[in-house]
Amino acid sequence: MSGAIPARTGFDPEIAGKRAECDGGGPIAGTRFAGRQEFTGTLTGEFVDHGDPPWRWYLMVDLTQKPEGYTADAVWCECGNLFIQEDGSS
Amino acid sequence: MARDPLRTKLCDMLGIEFPIVSFTHCKDVAVAVINAGGFAVLGEAMHTPDEISADIKWIRDRVDGKPFGIDLVLPASVPPTGALDELMTEIPDTHREFARQIKEKYDVPDPKGPVALHQWGGLNQEMARAQLEVLLEERVPVIASGLGSPVFILEAAHERGIKVFGLVGKTRQAKRQVEGGVDAIIAQGYDAAGHTGAMGTFSIVPEVVSIAGDTPIIAAGGVTTGRHLAAALCLGAAGVWTGTLWLASRESDVDMIVKEKLLAATAEDTSYSNCISGMTMRTLKCPWTEEWSKPEAPAVLPAPYQMLLSSDYIQGANDHRREDLMTEAAGQGVGFVTTMKPARQIVFDLIDEALTALEELTGEVE
Repeated sequence: MSGAIPARTGFDPEIAGKRAECDGGGPIAGTRFAGRQEFTGTLTGEFVDHGDPPWRWYLMVDLTQKPEGYTADAVWCECGNLFIQEDGSS
Repeated sequence: MARDPLRTKLCDMLGIEFPIVSFTHCKDVAVAVINAGGFAVLGEAMHTPDEISADIKWIRDRVDGKPFGIDLVLPASVPPTGALDELMTEIPDTHREFARQIKEKYDVPDPKGPVALHQWGGLNQEMARAQLEVLLEERVPVIASGLGSPVFILEAAHERGIKVFGLVGKTRQAKRQVEGGVDAIIAQGYDAAGHTGAMGTFSIVPEVVSIAGDTPIIAAGGVTTGRHLAAALCLGAAGVWTGTLWLASRESDVDMIVKEKLLAATAEDTSYSNCISGMTMRTLKCPWTEEWSKPEAPAVLPAPYQMLLSSDYIQGANDHRREDLMTEAAGQGVGFVTTMKPARQIVFDLIDEALTALEELTGEVE
């Protein structure tokens, strides 16, 4: 993630190991448009708070759903777009 | 006396005459809609903080204190790494070859200059935060988030008298944002231009209305006529969010060639594909989208690789104004956009059509 914004890292044991879905996406490089991307995976509990007011991002790994061709096995998901699954555990 | 059916809680909240929100990237369109009694949200996602500040001043100088909004694309997810130069080298040869074949088949010209790719990737948050700081400093009347949740800035915005709107493609996103306290939700259906969810407008709007309580819901996706406006109000929405409608307006800065394509297009001329950017979005069909939809096409690459691949085509087409190659984001309601009209006229036509439609239903509208 970007290091230019004042950031505070942390760990939330309450969510560590929980399965979650991320309604993700973002701006599309070179255009004025955006796109959606969906992920399902396991939260490590690691988070980063960017700036003030804090903008919280959680790390999701072991992705079982990700966009076609997405090569990484991890994604940072903004907390407002993160939905922990009902059963909660991995 | 019958209540004015077009006077909604969105009108009351914003102090506007008509429940019509124009989403546009063109300042002239925004000002024309605002001064005609509607509301406009200017898309500034790709602009620098200084440009945004200048655009806010430009609008303020022309709307006599009337409210307006600025839309940013707040990222909702970011990959762990990614430097543009490194990414370029990771595009498979098969994909480079397929792109080269398209370029040869359609005689796609080279871009006139370096491809104007902006590096978002890991800079997503930094850029968005810098943009948000300007909106907070300028105390714009409305901040709209076109993608990610804006809940984290609510307190700072409300302290400054700024209202915050969030655009959603799923009901659960709306529920989260309503609980967070956003001032209005834009429920966007699959019919929409650009990035959309999987639910149709007719399904997502009433579903979001049902969980939103008193929060105004603005219907988006395929809204291009007054009948759509009337239908949206019947679904429980407090207004409509419109984008495609303004692209071919007289004030719009969209290339005249693309305007003519939009005026001639129907819903079937749009494509919902990830082949331009690696992220799904609805655009006008073009040779690039058609070739990538064929069985022999390689699998589309994820963002940002696919955009790196398509950028040469897109910019070459635009730089040389090749009508047969150019494309634009357009919603399924584009078939009703058939005449190039002033934005003010579009507002009034929507209102007349909506009132007529409601009168036909009830016989009571004055």
